[in-house]
Amino acid sequence: MPTIAIDAMGGDHAPGEIVKGVARASLETDIECLLVGDERRIQEVLETVPYNPEHISIVDCRDAIGMDEDPHEAVKNRRDTSLLVAARAVAEGRAAAMVSAGNTGACVLTAARHFRLIKGIRRAALASVYPRHTEYTGQDPLALLLDVGATIRCESEELVQFALMGSAYARRISKVPSPRVALLNMGVEGTKGGETLVAVYQRLRKMPALNFVGNVEGNDLARGRADVIVCEGLLGNVVLKLVEGIAEVFTDVASAAARRRLSWRIGLALLSRGIERLRQLTDYTQYGGAPILGFENLFIKCHGRSNARAVTNAVKVTAKAVRDRVPAEIAEAVAALR
Amino acid sequence: MSPLRTRSAERPALAPVVCRWDLDKTYLRSDFDSFRQLLRTAFERAEDKVDVPGVAELIKAIKKAAARHGRPALVYFISASPPQIGKAIRDKLALDGIAYDGIVFKDQLAHLKRGKLRNLREHVGFKLVELLRGRLDAPAEARELLFGDDWESDSLIYSLYADVLARRLDVDRLLPILRRIGVDARLVDQVVALAGKAAGPDAVDRIFINLERRTPTATFRLFGPRVVPTFNYFQTAVALGVDGHLDVEDVAAVGRTLVERSGYTARRLENSLGDLVRRGVVSVAAAAGMGAALRAAGVLSAGAPARSRWRRMRDAFRRLRRRKKTRPAPVPLAGGALDYEAILDRLRSPGREASAEGRPA
Repeated sequence: MPTIAIDAMGGDHAPGEIVKGVARASLETDIECLLVGDERRIQEVLETVPYNPEHISIVDCRDAIGMDEDPHEAVKNRRDTSLLVAARAVAEGRAAAMVSAGNTGACVLTAARHFRLIKGIRRAALASVYPRHTEYTGQDPLALLLDVGATIRCESEELVQFALMGSAYARRISKVPSPRVALLNMGVEGTKGGETLVAVYQRLRKMPALNFVGNVEGNDLARGRADVIVCEGLLGNVVLKLVEGIAEVFTDVASAAARRRLSWRIGLALLSRGIERLRQLTDYTQYGGAPILGFENLFIKCHGRSNARAVTNAVKVTAKAVRDRVPAEIAEAVAALR
Repeated sequence: MSPLRTRSAERPALAPVVCRWDLDKTYLRSDFDSFRQLLRTAFERAEDKVDVPGVAELIKAIKKAAARHGRPALVYFISASPPQIGKAIRDKLALDGIAYDGIVFKDQLAHLKRGKLRNLREHVGFKLVELLRGRLDAPAEARELLFGDDWESDSLIYSLYADVLARRLDVDRLLPILRRIGVDARLVDQVVALAGKAAGPDAVDRIFINLERRTPTATFRLFGPRVVPTFNYFQTAVALGVDGHLDVEDVAAVGRTLVERSGYTARRLENSLGDLVRRGVVSVAAAAGMGAALRAAGVLSAGAPARSRWRRMRDAFRRLRRRKKTRPAPVPLAGGALDYEAILDRLRSPGREASAEGRPA
């Protein structure tokens, strides 16, 4: 079983939910969990929940990067934060991959500082999973969007590599034999979007190893037309925040409506079972986290608000990606491109 | 020389050690969560019964270590199972090569005949009576090690027994506790009679609780440092080694058995050792000594390069200093005994201790 390093101090609910998630993983799997963080606080949490110590080791480290800190400053000036110590454990071979729910910018910078890019890969991509409409039974209700912020502006070569990386990841993790890859653009025609996107479109279209389904527009994102959507970091980040914002506004509006009128409250109550099913279907905690792709070592970034369940699933997904040799799969795909 | 050898040399050389073992979930991996499983357990043959990994090796190791040091070691089993399944259990112990000095079963049929259905599930009275009877038969100077699990009320029963023996819990304080638990009146009378005769010097060294249900370890804080919850019998062996009841070679034998027969790895054993240190069951220094000896014996993986080993030692001492500053104070004892009122409050309804122990704190 692979060893997974977990940044115990990263995230809004760290270390409590992170440690509880790891404790659960220690009971449900044989994955070796290397918890990095304040040993005393980690142990305090462990002692209040069921766990299996045979699968847990702890690296004591009291410094941690806050969620609101400047990632550049923190990564540059503080060598012994839980995030960096966990990354060093991976880089030195004491763990095969790592998981963190901490500061996203710091996670990307840490990966760039400690992990080597796969040969031939020019830039790393931060992927994110988002809920989408499913078209057939058994289809993964979550699609992969990359990049969402690791590389702000991209050249065509980089976007082509993102498509290969996303496809390799989805093939292994979502068990889609031939994931449908699409390019996020302002029109479905291959001539739209400017020079870079047109070039990417042309190159992806000519790749027989890739199931490229063309361009998708913003309104196609949630329709399930593609399993992997490729875009540059700036656009991906805007899309991600927009989706999150809409979800929050929808929740706020529903809550306000429920407070205002009894009939609306009754209506929402009648719908509650359906809403709950929808929520479960698109619950990010079941996916655990999203990968930073392009490095020889895997880094799964969890949502900052991750609870124990999300962390458990992130640890499982990471171990699965290690076992299924996702970085090697990406390396092979990129080598074939050359 | 291991820390345990130094410690054992400090003990009275010939004081016998008495080990009292629970059977189900402590020695045997019995499943009786459902009626079907209960029936299957009742009719199971000896060769079909499965022991908890490492337990047989641990019992043999305790005997071997005691013999090596010229110290008698007596092993007793107390089971709440009915005597009707006694033959299969005795056969199983014989199959495992366990030499024991006594075994007691609970006469469930007698309770059934008396119409005392509650007594079928309530084991505190039965076990206390048998423990106290056993103590009267044991050599007066004998030290005791008690082994149970987190399914029933073993931590409570053994703690009551230890405090009664050590005169920390007199009859006036014991009676309300037994009544609150709901112990049968006849058994209460027997406990009171036996307690008066058995009480003497503090005899119980440690109470080991096999965390078969993975009950959160914080649940056992109220029982004080005498109760040691362990996740596997390697942890138990290490604690016994540090206490001086086992030599390094015995601890290594238990670890080796887990690796060779139960799919354990050196890493799992190393993690188990680390967990004992973090929980304060063994000191950093003792664990370092034990770890080095087990590495030399090939049970744990060979150490890291010298510099990194030094760094680890330095970090360990720093952690120890921090722990001393931050670790909660030991559980205060009411008049020397544990605060049983608080324990029973925690366990809530009498007779339901097992489920209460299983709940996260």
